[in-house]
Amino acid sequence: MSGAFVAGRTFDRDLVLDVDAVVVGTGAGGSVALRSLARAGLNVVALEEGPHSKPADFDQREDHMFPRLFQDAGARTTEDLAIRVLQGRGVGGSTVHNTNLCKRTPAAILDLWARKYGVSGATVGDLAASFEAIERDLSVSEIAAPLRNANNEILRRGCEALGWRGAPLSHNRSGCQGSGFCELGCAYDAKQNALKVVLPQAVGSGATVYSDVRATRIVHDGTRVSGVRAIALDEHGQLCARVAITAPVVVLAASAVGSAALARASGVPDPHAQLGRGLRLHPGAVVAGRFEERVEGWRGVPQSYECTEHLSHEEGSDRRTWIVTAFAHPVGAASTLPGFGASHMAAMRSYPHLAVLTAMVHDETSGEVVVDGDGRPGLRYAMNEGDRAQLASGLVACARLLFAAGAREVTIPAIPAQRFTRPSDLDGVDVSARSPVLRPHSVSITSVHPMGTMRLGDDAHTSVVRSTGEHHQLRGLFVADGSLFPTSIGVPPQLSIYAFALHLAPNMVERARRG
Amino acid sequence: MRGTKLVCEENGEHAPPAPGVPQRKLSRRRILAASSGLVLAAALGTAIVRSRGYAIAPDRKLLTLSPWQFVVVEHAARRIASSDRPGDASVPTADDLDVAGFVDAWLANMSDHIRRDLGRFLAYLEHLAPVAVGFASRFTRLGPDDQDAVLASIESSRHDLLRSGFEGLKSLVFAGYYRDPRAWSLLGYDGPLVGRPPAGWR
Repeated sequence: MSGAFVAGRTFDRDLVLDVDAVVVGTGAGGSVALRSLARAGLNVVALEEGPHSKPADFDQREDHMFPRLFQDAGARTTEDLAIRVLQGRGVGGSTVHNTNLCKRTPAAILDLWARKYGVSGATVGDLAASFEAIERDLSVSEIAAPLRNANNEILRRGCEALGWRGAPLSHNRSGCQGSGFCELGCAYDAKQNALKVVLPQAVGSGATVYSDVRATRIVHDGTRVSGVRAIALDEHGQLCARVAITAPVVVLAASAVGSAALARASGVPDPHAQLGRGLRLHPGAVVAGRFEERVEGWRGVPQSYECTEHLSHEEGSDRRTWIVTAFAHPVGAASTLPGFGASHMAAMRSYPHLAVLTAMVHDETSGEVVVDGDGRPGLRYAMNEGDRAQLASGLVACARLLFAAGAREVTIPAIPAQRFTRPSDLDGVDVSARSPVLRPHSVSITSVHPMGTMRLGDDAHTSVVRSTGEHHQLRGLFVADGSLFPTSIGVPPQLSIYAFALHLAPNMVERARRG
Repeated sequence: MRGTKLVCEENGEHAPPAPGVPQRKLSRRRILAASSGLVLAAALGTAIVRSRGYAIAPDRKLLTLSPWQFVVVEHAARRIASSDRPGDASVPTADDLDVAGFVDAWLANMSDHIRRDLGRFLAYLEHLAPVAVGFASRFTRLGPDDQDAVLASIESSRHDLLRSGFEGLKSLVFAGYYRDPRAWSLLGYDGPLVGRPPAGWR
């Protein structure tokens, strides 16, 4: 039995379906849940708000790809405008634009969840088979040294010079051409992701994936779900048809923002005020170093090496900063460099000589996803003192790495811009939480990893879904995305999301079979 | 105040509010945001009163911006993307690359609330920001140096929302400028590789 990819933008009449399960979202978690349900012989569909892209659609232009691949064309922010939150849209979700980094959920994080957050059945041993399976599916491997570009080589050199801990990263690419346009979708189809691998397998097992269809409401009676209401959108984003799906199982996999927003907009029971809370973002900011030699950081695999000197996943650690490279194409680079006008253009002329690192905070701040009257999500998140201090010290650590690797000048893009010409200049930088400069609204902060708004746990007073992935109050409602995580995980989350979805999928299958 | 309570600005895990009651925070940040919101609302009101006298080309079909907003973006773009080599014809201007036209079209990809926030910011930039710097004129009627002074004052404002608003406008302008292959040559950036054999760019 084979399913299909169907474009909702072609609908000229309303659609009514009666299925065993419906999955909302087609990224890492949604794709795996869909595949598992389809492989179990169930009649299953997935709804995806964005378009279905082919490799030929990825033309490597920022102005074309940002509206296609990102929510709000990449302009989504927290409500206070302090943090830009890049989130994917389209078939394959964020796996289409991410940089393919693959790291398992750290053991210390899983231990913490079991010990403090009441998560059962999700130890390192419990998840091992799911991680191994998904790593096989996605052809995960260490990024070979010849694929390391000059920007990443600078990070490696900096680590070596300072004696800081660093290592090559692993990825899910096969046949990589090293073009460097990963965040705009892969024109060479080298990403072994949800779009290329998992969703076609799901469709091959009978699932149907509807693109351009936005879920607007989960239908329920307060004790069990019975389906989803949605709208199909034409190429201009205008309503072209209504979609009504009846199903005893609904799987939310629309990201920690989208899933929580849909649940809230749908009036999903929340007797203990947990829904939407616990938002984590992995906020990060960048530092640029100018080198004598040409770096041309836009070429090659964007991220292939990491510095973990300032990162520990142990509870209460004061080392919560992960450092990797973060080079951008011209639009992204121009937006990040400080200032405007003539001085900005002069700085942009150094573009081929820049190396860029980012400090990403394994955050403890707890934010919240809310919804407005139209069901649109709002992100409330104000970095706490500890995280602000981590960000500030992380930025200075990036600057030290760049100097150690030979940078002539280092700039922290802040207001006002922080420029340094010697490593000793960094000694006097205020890295406290009260730093007047290295803080939100002065430093440009970006998040690409929202997590934790429908948290796992056995106690309904402190979590939203059971350790089985099913909602505490609504039978048949499951979650299969980063919403599940009770805390930040401090590593790129895609592999964890794939693996948790796979780990929890048998519970979805069982519920769907029972009807 | 139902559903409102005082909490520390530095949040950790939220204390659970009563079921069904949305939690609100009344903090310095919120008060500051509210104050800035009032300023922006005042600017919006001023803009409604003073939105005449802005001319755009007759053949210009705007998708999202109003004529006065378009003119403000045009002026801001000329300064934000101004050349470091005045008189050098090889450096395209914001007008050459139709940056304001790009911004108008690009905003169609964004949600209503983002467009609304930008409109408020443009009203502030046009009508109130010059006054704050000491000019008794609209932004669009100032000379280039004075416009730079106004933009710099917003960029370094002590109000978080104004700084963030400026960064948003700057991002839009640079998206319109540096998306264009004519700007790439300034950077030594060779653009997309699709269609080129890998041997040519490795």
